[in-house]
Amino acid sequence: MEFLLENILNMIGFAVGLAIGLMSLIGFRNTGSPTLFRLTIAFFAISAGFLIIWVGYLAADFVTKSGDIERWVQTAGIIVQTVGYFFIAFSHSIKAFLPKSSYFRSVGVVPLFLISSVQVEHIFRSISFILLAYGAIETILSYLDTRNRGAISVASGLALLALGEFLGWYSFVFPESILYTTSISIKIAGLVALFIPVSRLPLTRIRIDDGLDGEGDEWEDEEGKEDGAARRKEGKEDGAADTRGQGQTATTMTTAQSPPAPGDGGPERREPKDGR
Amino acid sequence: MAGYRTRIEIIGDILSTTRDDCQDEQGATVTYLIKKANVSYPRLSEILRMLVKQGLLEVDRTRSSSKYRISENGREFLLAYNTFTEFSNDYGLNM
Repeated sequence: MEFLLENILNMIGFAVGLAIGLMSLIGFRNTGSPTLFRLTIAFFAISAGFLIIWVGYLAADFVTKSGDIERWVQTAGIIVQTVGYFFIAFSHSIKAFLPKSSYFRSVGVVPLFLISSVQVEHIFRSISFILLAYGAIETILSYLDTRNRGAISVASGLALLALGEFLGWYSFVFPESILYTTSISIKIAGLVALFIPVSRLPLTRIRIDDGLDGEGDEWEDEEGKEDGAARRKEGKEDGAADTRGQGQTATTMTTAQSPPAPGDGGPERREPKDGR
Repeated sequence: MAGYRTRIEIIGDILSTTRDDCQDEQGATVTYLIKKANVSYPRLSEILRMLVKQGLLEVDRTRSSSKYRISENGREFLLAYNTFTEFSNDYGLNM
């Protein structure tokens, strides 16, 4: 039963991570947004992590017939997943700290890691838990800011994944209990919740273009965010209405059409308030 | 608390203004865009040059002024931008 659930979890994890990663990649190639680039890395890493573990289980079942996954394969998969969770948390930390604190800009973001003295796998599970919990909290804060309903589903997804990781980690203490099965079921629910916003995107006409050089930059403007945000919100609503009306989205920009971002713009570059 | 706009957000604001909030059918002047998109002149002129070069904006130059209006490619880009802004907002992030 546990073996079957693990296979289902890893298959869903691989598919959901790949779907969200592809959507982020399409967004990045069309807009050059660095946020979408980080999401692309994050979800491709999560997808790869699940794939590694899934292949490990399949190999254990069909090749070695040992009935149990090799420990190093499971550890490798969890490490790759943790890299993905790190990039989600990193994106949130940039949003939360970068514009406000020069201290965090100078030292970078050093998450508070909980180091366990047991196996590497459990160390990475605990790191994953912290990163996921951080991502969930930041997403909830973002929801309180924007009241965007999609954020609730993502926050729930990250929170469920965090809980699943925690229970999976805790099951180390009670290895034969129901904890591990519960952990897998909760993680499956979390992945489904993460997928909900992607499933709502209109997929017609979305395609990946070749040769885009839309490397994003992140230098920022200190001028009137609130006004801009209000206008963007209006624009977004109009845009959403247009999209619904046509039953498609126009994410088919080509290289030549996509506005290139200046390559010299780093995350710390800013203009003075008067823009000169 | 007011935050900062990234470059892509400023581009989105400029394109939104030229699409939804133009002075007339010929387009918007630089002064109008400075006011509506809330961008400084040096930044705006650099972005406008780039947007025209990329075919997202069309410019109508007269002796007295230049007027900018959104092109068909610009409209498509803006729809994509709005779609993916919503997508990143769903993940609690800004573009």
